[in-house]
Amino acid sequence: MAHPEPAGHEEEEHHGSPWPVIIAVGMGVAYVGIVTASIPMLLAGFVIFAGGAGGWIHQDMQRPSSAFYGLAAAVESKLPRVSARKLGLWLFLATEIMFFSAIIGASWTLRLRTTTLGDAFQGPWAQPGEILNVPLTGLNTFILICSSLTMVEGLAAAERGDQRKLRIFLLATLLLGMTFLSIQAFEYQKLYFGEGLTFKTAPFGVNPLYGPTFYAQTGVHGSHVTAGVLAMAYITRKAFKGGFTKENHEAVELVGLYWHFVDVVWIFLFTIVYLI
Amino acid sequence: MATATGTEAAGPHEEARKRPYVVVFGILAVVTLAELNVYGLGIPHLETITILVVLATIKASLVVAYYMHLRYEPRWIALIPLGGLALVAVLVAALTATSVHP
Repeated sequence: MAHPEPAGHEEEEHHGSPWPVIIAVGMGVAYVGIVTASIPMLLAGFVIFAGGAGGWIHQDMQRPSSAFYGLAAAVESKLPRVSARKLGLWLFLATEIMFFSAIIGASWTLRLRTTTLGDAFQGPWAQPGEILNVPLTGLNTFILICSSLTMVEGLAAAERGDQRKLRIFLLATLLLGMTFLSIQAFEYQKLYFGEGLTFKTAPFGVNPLYGPTFYAQTGVHGSHVTAGVLAMAYITRKAFKGGFTKENHEAVELVGLYWHFVDVVWIFLFTIVYLI
Repeated sequence: MATATGTEAAGPHEEARKRPYVVVFGILAVVTLAELNVYGLGIPHLETITILVVLATIKASLVVAYYMHLRYEPRWIALIPLGGLALVAVLVAALTATSVHP
C-alpha cells in the first residue's frame, strides 16, 4: 500500500489503508477482554491496536496531506463542499461537545444539590480559590491561549508554504501543550498530597464530592490535551521531515481544529471549576 | 481530487494573510485577565457568575470563529457543532430544573 507519489504531489490518488481496520479490530478485542475480564485478551487487543497505530503512522508519514472529498466529489450539490476528513472531524467534535457536557452536567448537578441542601449534605461546595490555586491555573489558561495562537500561525505558515515558520510554530505549540500538562500534574500533586483533596475527602469541611468532580472534569480534559500533544508531536515530526507543502497540509488544519476545541473546553472548565 | 471541487477547504491564501489572529489573542488575554479580577469588583454573586459565563462565551466564540475558521467555512458546517450545543441546552435546562427543586 506504499504510496508511489512523493510527499507534496498535488494530484494524489487516495488508496485505501488497512491500518484503521486493524486498529478497530484491536480495540474490539481489547473491549472483549474488558467485559470478559480476560487480561490476555486485553493485552492482545492493545498489541493489535499499537501495531495498527504504528503502521498507520508509518504509512501516513510517507504520504502527502491533501484535502479529500470522497463521495462528495461525484455528487451534484448546491452546498459548498468540505473535505471528507474535515467533515468527519467536525462530526467527532460534535460528539465531544456532548461528552464534555455529560461530565460537566453531572458535576454541576451534584454541586447544585449540595448548595441546596447545604451542610446537611456532608458540607458545602468550595468557594473560588478556597482549595484551588486560581492564579496558577490562570497562568495555565494563558499558556493554552498562547498555544492556540502558535497553532493557527503554524497553519497560516503552511498555507503560505513557509516551512521554517511552520516548524517553529508547531514546535512551540507542542512545548506549550507539554507545559500545560506539566503544570496540571504539579497542581494535582499539590492538591492530592498537599491539600488532601482526594477522590473521597476534601479539606476545610468542603463536601467530599468536590474532589471526584474536580478530577473527573479536569482529568478528562487533561487526557484530551495529552492526545492533542501526541498528535502535535506527530505532525511536528512530519513537518521537520518536509511532509507538508503549500498545497498539502490538511493534517495541520485538522490537528489544529482539535487543539482549538480542547482550548474552548478549557475556557468553560476554567470558569465553571475555578472561578464560579 | 482537491482541485476538482473546492475552494473552501484550502481557503484563499490572500485572505489568510489578513486574518486577525494576533488581535484575537490580545482580546483573549485581556478577557482572561478580567475574569481573574471580577471578584475584586464587589458585585453580587449571581451577577458575577453571569459576567463570568458571558466572558467565557465571548472567548470561546472568538476561538471557534477565528482560530477554528468557522467564520471562513461554508455556513452549513456551523450546524454540526450547533446540533451538539442544542442537545447541551436541553441537558443543562433539565439538570438545572431538577436540581434546584430536588
